[in-house]
Amino acid sequence: MILIETLISFGATICFAVLFSAPKKELPFCGCTGALGWLVYEALVQDGVSKVLASMAATAALTILARCFAVIRQNPVTVYLLTGIFSLVPGAGLYYTTYYLFIGDRYQLAVKGLETFEIAGAIVFGIIFGFALPQRLFHRLRRGD
Amino acid sequence: MAYTREVLTLAVEIGEMMLRNGAEIYRTEDTLKRILEAYQIEQFDVYVLSNGIFASANEGSSDACSMVRQVPFGDVNLGRIASINQLTRDICSEVCSPAQARKRLEECVKETPYPLWLILLCCGLGSAGFCYLFGGNLTDCLVTVPIGMLERALLLFLTRQKTSKSLTNVICSASAALMSSLVIGTGLALHPDKIIIGAIMQLFPGIALTTSIRDFYNGDYLSGTIHLIDALLTALCISVGVCLSILLIRYLGGGVIRL
Repeated sequence: MILIETLISFGATICFAVLFSAPKKELPFCGCTGALGWLVYEALVQDGVSKVLASMAATAALTILARCFAVIRQNPVTVYLLTGIFSLVPGAGLYYTTYYLFIGDRYQLAVKGLETFEIAGAIVFGIIFGFALPQRLFHRLRRGD
Repeated sequence: MAYTREVLTLAVEIGEMMLRNGAEIYRTEDTLKRILEAYQIEQFDVYVLSNGIFASANEGSSDACSMVRQVPFGDVNLGRIASINQLTRDICSEVCSPAQARKRLEECVKETPYPLWLILLCCGLGSAGFCYLFGGNLTDCLVTVPIGMLERALLLFLTRQKTSKSLTNVICSASAALMSSLVIGTGLALHPDKIIIGAIMQLFPGIALTTSIRDFYNGDYLSGTIHLIDALLTALCISVGVCLSILLIRYLGGGVIRL
């Protein structure tokens, strides 16, 4: 099940990469970052880790992979990071927050709204952790290439 | 044209192109500095904001020049960012004269984008994919494909009409939610929420959010704030759009269609 979802995440990320005109040769790599993000997220959630923590770990993993690709493929990290992150952004949270705001269910609104905010915050920290690793570590990849 | 002016113009134009297509501030600033250094401009200052570039070179000498560029938010184009990156790399390894570099920059702009049908198709498939990831079943996904495509077509149309960005987002998310609820009305699919989530994913300000985080991380607080506000506003507009269409459906459907 989780494998199918990862595959779909791979495909969906590639589709969205086309929307942002990513170079043709880089599409599979963009897909890989998206797939890894989803794989880590889903594996952790199924393991009982909270959504917030899982988002953070998944974003960090995705950022590190994006940086690896950036060094190996000699492209800006933006290309892989921006497209890969789409499988983790709290789109569902945004919708449910809006929905509960609209029907006036204040309890659910607070729950969903806070969760959306926390996930966005977790993504922030995930990216920061991913970038905190020194660039030196990544340069080794090039020599091995 | 004086050499300093030629080089500075080239550098600023490259910077403008990067900003317009969604590069972050730190990288743009860094690229400008590297280009100017590679062309042996000794004294220069570069300041980049999310909507503007300020640059000056050789201020103390007779060929002093300075430039200001206003850069409105544009569509993200990662392909251009990648090819400009390659161009900068060549400039820095000194295999490219300013004139050649300018020629290549013009070629970068001309690079053929993906055809419209492919963009629409990808939008549909991508939306369906996210619909599935967020818990929709197969029927929901199939329904999401045309909704995502129509929504994109509407988005492209509105952008071409130069409708404001906020209004475009409101209209697009409203139409996506409206189409989803119409489908629910026919009884074909079961999870309107999943379909709407899949369809609004393409409007979600993931790029603005990520760019903002990276700007903050690099210490560009002002640009980070601008991108963050952009992201929050876009999210708000999507919310408003979805609310509007739920309101409309409630009002017209008289409780027949439950969202």
